Amino acid sequence: MIPKLQIAEPDGFSVEVHTTQNRGFTPEEIAERCADKIISVSDEAHPAIQAQARAFKGDISRLVAFYLREAIKSDRTTVYNALTDAGHSELAELIRRL
Amino acid sequence: MAFTGNFMCTSFKQELLQAKHDFTASTGHTFKLALYTNSASFTAATTDYTATNEVSGTGYSAGGGTLTNVTPTTSGTTAFTDFADLTFSTATITARGALIYNTTTGGGSSTTDTVVVLDFGGDKTSTAGDFTIVFPTADASNAIIRIA
Repeated sequence: MIPKLQIAEPDGFSVEVHTTQNRGFTPEEIAERCADKIISVSDEAHPAIQAQARAFKGDISRLVAFYLREAIKSDRTTVYNALTDAGHSELAELIRRL
Repeated sequence: MAFTGNFMCTSFKQELLQAKHDFTASTGHTFKLALYTNSASFTAATTDYTATNEVSGTGYSAGGGTLTNVTPTTSGTTAFTDFADLTFSTATITARGALIYNTTTGGGSSTTDTVVVLDFGGDKTSTAGDFTIVFPTADASNAIIRIA
């Protein structure tokens, strides 16, 4: 018998679309997406394993969210200094207070 | 007309066997994702990107956004590839589906060869916000492009 090479049709899943209205995503929302990419939990796994994996996923999500907030704060410092150097101190102050 | 589910374009399947698509990260081809309204009409016979019924609005340019390739890998006997999630920032748009196409098929330039048509299942809207396409988990059971 000749082996069959099968290209999976992507009909078995739905590509998700996440949107926001009048704001960007929060660090927590992005961290959750990140954790989803790192860890997937099989519905067929033993319940104890599932629980352990979900707990670990929650820890990862919280850790990623923390460092996302750190990155945002650090980037705002960079933007603040760039605006100050360009003579836009009032705008820089607005950014700093976000 | 309307979207009728996700599907791979037939021409893409043929071109895969002709070694015309390279999904390798960084050194592979450049794939783009364009957004469409529910008036778009795609079938498996669609071979090229079209601007007809493409979304327009703040934060979106014709042709769509460039995808970040994830180098194909394997799990068990299944090979698969993935893309990083794509975000249109500060966008005011409504889209019902998307088309992924290759702009450098066969190492060429300015090509528009279709890969896959994606159906979002309903209109998705962002207003002065972020519009993010989240690709499925990159594994042998869920990845967007799999060969088993």
